[in-house]
Amino acid sequence: MSLAKTQNGKVEHDEVGLPNQPSPPSSTPHQVQAPSVRTWETPPPLVPAPHLEDYQPIIGAAEIDELRFLARELKGKTIKMVNSTAVGGGVAEMLDRLVPLLGELEVVAHWDVITGGNDFFEITKAFHNALHGAEYQLTDAARRIFLAYNEQNRQRMQFTEDMVVIHDPQPAPLITSRKDSPGHWIWRCHIDLSSPNPQVWDFLRPFIEQYDAAIVSSQSFAQKLPITQYLFYPCIDPLSEKNKELDDAFVQKVCDEFGIDRSRPIVTQVSRFDRLKDPVGVVQAFKLARRYVDCQLVLAGGGASDDPEGALVLKEVKEAAGDDPDIIILDLPPWCALEINALQRASTIVVQKSIKEGFGLTVTEALWKGKPTIAGAVGGIPNQIIHKLTGMLVHSVEGCAYQIRYLLTHPAFAAQLGRNGREHVRENFLMTTDVRRWLLLLRISLQNQRS
Amino acid sequence: MTTTTPSTCKPFYFNTSSHLLRITAQKATTLAEFLDALRACSDDSIFQHSFRTLQEHHFIREGFSNDFAHWVFASCNEPSLAEQLASVDVREFSSLGELRDRFAQIVERHLQLDPRAGTHIAGEPFYFCASDIVVMPTNLVAGTLQEFAKGLREVSVHSIHHHFIEARLRLKLTSNDFSLWLQEDVGLTGTARQLDRIDIYTATLEGVRAQIVRAVERALI
Repeated sequence: MSLAKTQNGKVEHDEVGLPNQPSPPSSTPHQVQAPSVRTWETPPPLVPAPHLEDYQPIIGAAEIDELRFLARELKGKTIKMVNSTAVGGGVAEMLDRLVPLLGELEVVAHWDVITGGNDFFEITKAFHNALHGAEYQLTDAARRIFLAYNEQNRQRMQFTEDMVVIHDPQPAPLITSRKDSPGHWIWRCHIDLSSPNPQVWDFLRPFIEQYDAAIVSSQSFAQKLPITQYLFYPCIDPLSEKNKELDDAFVQKVCDEFGIDRSRPIVTQVSRFDRLKDPVGVVQAFKLARRYVDCQLVLAGGGASDDPEGALVLKEVKEAAGDDPDIIILDLPPWCALEINALQRASTIVVQKSIKEGFGLTVTEALWKGKPTIAGAVGGIPNQIIHKLTGMLVHSVEGCAYQIRYLLTHPAFAAQLGRNGREHVRENFLMTTDVRRWLLLLRISLQNQRS
Repeated sequence: MTTTTPSTCKPFYFNTSSHLLRITAQKATTLAEFLDALRACSDDSIFQHSFRTLQEHHFIREGFSNDFAHWVFASCNEPSLAEQLASVDVREFSSLGELRDRFAQIVERHLQLDPRAGTHIAGEPFYFCASDIVVMPTNLVAGTLQEFAKGLREVSVHSIHHHFIEARLRLKLTSNDFSLWLQEDVGLTGTARQLDRIDIYTATLEGVRAQIVRAVERALI
């Protein structure tokens, strides 16, 4: 792995990224574990998960007390969470924090992971893409393999908890155990269901309809179902490596390493190299804006090594950037959460010019850091960015360019957006809000069962 | 000198509430569909998009004060209708039925004047949501005005919303829990009236809290 400055001054990393890995949790809030002896090229050591009290400086004592009051009637109640991977990806990252926090509140959460062969996970990957709207021909063989692995897992697992939460489509058929289980069954769907492939959705729907309720991440993902559908926004952990407060010296060090000049405005997009994130559009918008305002562009991402399409997109981005010394393209490995955090904090403006998006947690991260944010009005982004109040929504390259110019030349307005954005995240998109939602759901489910 | 509550008065128990969002079956892609859904949706949905949204966006002073107005402006490009919907002050209503009727009348009148506006496809649909609400106690109880001021400073903004904004639906009065306690149990009618005059639309909920605390502290002098 190497970090090289190219002839045109761009900093590039020649090892492509891996799929997302969970951020190692931090031990104490507002404390920088300055990676003085490590560089971004080596993974950081794991640090212990935070406790509920660690969130008090962020959300206040009253909010922590409210969580305790909410949990009081639930003491000893149990929840089982089932998903398809123990590490890697947003769901595992979220459960990694949620399960111990529920435990601290004396709600016992068990986390179980389904197993399967490559044939199973190839099919579930295809299902995932198809539910996002991709073309897919569902064969009888795929149906059989999918159901056989689910049956194998079902026979291995026990479902004695008060609430059983099945995450995403991979383990959805486990619902067939419901008849032998005392609990309330919930299907938590983390993916964009706004235009699902009808073959795959019609295959899955009979399973989903057997649940007591479903949870989706955006209003537009709700389906016509005979069960209650709740809205749980995805969330970020303010104490994770990617979001915790950083010492400015570390932010400076990261900028120095990557050749970023902090004395000039910095416009940043953090995203894997994926056409749906429109990195080429960001380069075009930047070039349009820079005709009027001085600035640099940082495109920080990963995913170009394990994904042939990612490598192709990275190539396209480099071509679009040309020999512009003010465009810094960083293909970072997945353990660079601290560096991503530093890049976001160093930014004057953060952009997320997605063409399609599930929720857009990079937007949440930027808002949490108080950054004026410009983002595509797609997927769950309008839930986070209320136009002109918590950020700016755009629909085109030209719109993005204009908003970059506007925010760079109206710093007071930009700062107000940043303040509002941070409060929006504090109220609606933090891990502690997620804990609150799960406690509420358990209370409401148990009340419904009693009545 | 400090003011104490009369020895016989009831203490004020600070409660709070938490809510879980549900997505309902109603969805509108045009203003005509919106009007139909507005008439047909549950009271919970009216509550969610008018009262509850004030809590979810309590940190914002600017912009539209309810979700209906925001959608009409941002997705339907109907600024005049948006302004009319935004001008509805939830504090003037002590029942959700009356509030629903008011919103529906405004949209109906707009569509009578401009029927074509009813068929334009909105940029984004409006999804009617509702909430399941759980009310909880807190540790804070006020037996004196000093304790009341302390409680006001310490409770979460959710508690402020619960007592100061949501309460009027519970009480079926255009008042709130704080004013009612100050007036009926402490005898501070003037302070209660000052609280009733606080503008919840031009201040954040933290700003509202600060104004309530200032009014109570003035009564302590």
